[in-house]
Amino acid sequence: MDITVLQNFAANNLWGAIMPEIMLGVLALVLLVIELLFPKQQHQMVPAAALAGLLCVLGNVLATFHNPYVATETFNGLLRHTRDGQIMRIFFLLAAVMVCLLARVSLAKQAMPRVEFYHIVLVVTAGMMLLAQSNNLLLLFVTLETVTIGLYILVSYYRNNSLTLEAGLKYLVMGALSSSLLLFGIVLLYGVAGNAALPGHTAQAMHYGQLASFLAANPHNFLASIGIVLVLSGVAFKIGAFPFQIWVPDVYQGAPTPVTAFLAVSSKAVGFAVLLSLSLTVFASYGWLLMPVLTFFAGATLLFGNVAALTQHNVKRLIGLSGVSHAGFLLLGVAAASRAPMAVGSIYFYLFAYLLASFAVFGVMTHLAGANDTDQELDHYAGLAKANPFLALVLAVGLGSLAGIPPLVGFMGKLFIFISAFQAGLYGLIAVAVIGVVISIYYYFGWIKAAFFETWATSPEAPAKPARTPVDLVTGIALGALALSTVVLGFYQGPLGAWLTPR
Amino acid sequence: MMTASLNEYVIISSLLFVIGFFGVLLRRNTLVVFMCLELMLIASTLALVAFSRFNATMDGNIFVFFILTVAAAEVAVGLAIIVALFRKRQTVQIDQLDSLKN
Repeated sequence: MDITVLQNFAANNLWGAIMPEIMLGVLALVLLVIELLFPKQQHQMVPAAALAGLLCVLGNVLATFHNPYVATETFNGLLRHTRDGQIMRIFFLLAAVMVCLLARVSLAKQAMPRVEFYHIVLVVTAGMMLLAQSNNLLLLFVTLETVTIGLYILVSYYRNNSLTLEAGLKYLVMGALSSSLLLFGIVLLYGVAGNAALPGHTAQAMHYGQLASFLAANPHNFLASIGIVLVLSGVAFKIGAFPFQIWVPDVYQGAPTPVTAFLAVSSKAVGFAVLLSLSLTVFASYGWLLMPVLTFFAGATLLFGNVAALTQHNVKRLIGLSGVSHAGFLLLGVAAASRAPMAVGSIYFYLFAYLLASFAVFGVMTHLAGANDTDQELDHYAGLAKANPFLALVLAVGLGSLAGIPPLVGFMGKLFIFISAFQAGLYGLIAVAVIGVVISIYYYFGWIKAAFFETWATSPEAPAKPARTPVDLVTGIALGALALSTVVLGFYQGPLGAWLTPR
Repeated sequence: MMTASLNEYVIISSLLFVIGFFGVLLRRNTLVVFMCLELMLIASTLALVAFSRFNATMDGNIFVFFILTVAAAEVAVGLAIIVALFRKRQTVQIDQLDSLKN
């Protein structure tokens, strides 16, 4: 073999381009070293080290936001660095910071090893950051599996609780099934795009750009259509779109609360990052197939998520099913993205609004959970406003933003999605989405009511509530910042909007 | 010697994939479900190798190694979860694992 070919390949491996991911990997290993070197009493420095490291990486990404790698491909086309990729990096780092903060609170109530939890969160976050920037079906599969296998472990982390293990098994079977669907879709696309008998066939069939030009040359290929539908189904599992949402309520209830937050925010966002890059570039020429599929996903997901959430009493199942309806809103944005240029920015804005509001709510949930993390009923919120006004306020702001109440940022997110869907002419879907918003206000306000107003349930034989955890300073500041930014960005989205929306 | 054509490979791997898919949906024992998941991955592997051979590109062959690695990691985590669950519940039958309900 000619050695210069290898040299050329190696010259394109620009390791500086994936500095944040490498830093996260090193940080994850450092945590294991800390566990090895220091006695058990000093292991509380592990979450502190994880948080400090995450903030350093976040600072690094922010400082090098406009780096020379943006809009180039590195690693021979495996990765494509874009402005959107940078935005998603910041998103996942922010989410990881919040997950680590919540994990400090939640793990303190369990007799479980601590270090591995933070280790896996860091590795999964690095995987998500690569996944959002992947430009090759091979890297897409490998990073997706890194993320998913890490999440299998995290979901079943509280392994002395049989409900958690059951959730872990369900997530494992469903996740592996969806990965197999995605993989078979990739294989079909690879096989068709490399077929020398077809026009525009390519030797690099895994590369997004090459595959896109092949698909543009063969806009009605049967096997390619099956491949595209299988890939979309695999991604739909990750974002919990109807009819692939069956795992959501069970897994969300069984998983530890910080992991539920991780699934609800990061895992869903990474699904949308992949869906956007696939549907806007690679599969763009198959619009005749994409539009009906996406429209069906969006409409059915919006309706199902909201209707199913109405009857839930366990708050983790409730937030899981309401998350399904949020996925429906985002899918509405994706369906609009091919025709309305502002839709992509709206999706990112919605994701950030969802991040702020969700972590505010999950933060409150973590403090109200007892030793049995799966048992979190709406009744446990009775009298929260009197006992802890700060948590009740954060909860109200978070839920109000999720419901889309006007001054809050969640309303602006929904508004932007509606405007882009209107520009794209998706009037039927907008009607479905409006019905969904109306239904969602009902169950979100049921939750707020449970926290703020005395009800008849406070009779002496009411079931015992788990003891609430007092809020410590760092978590309190973080939750306060989430609630404050949810309110402020609702009135004035200038900087965030200007940063997210230009295309 | 008779050689199989690409179509035959694709049909066999699709059959394997469909068998695995319905196995996951219909079988009641977790371990059998797990085997069916592996069957789906193997079906993809077979199709990849066949496509790689007939299209004369190397990507597919290399992808196979990644799939094998991923499958091994998945099995390691999956079996750990199944063993832990069996210790708690003394069963791995899907229809008895239904305590997560509203």
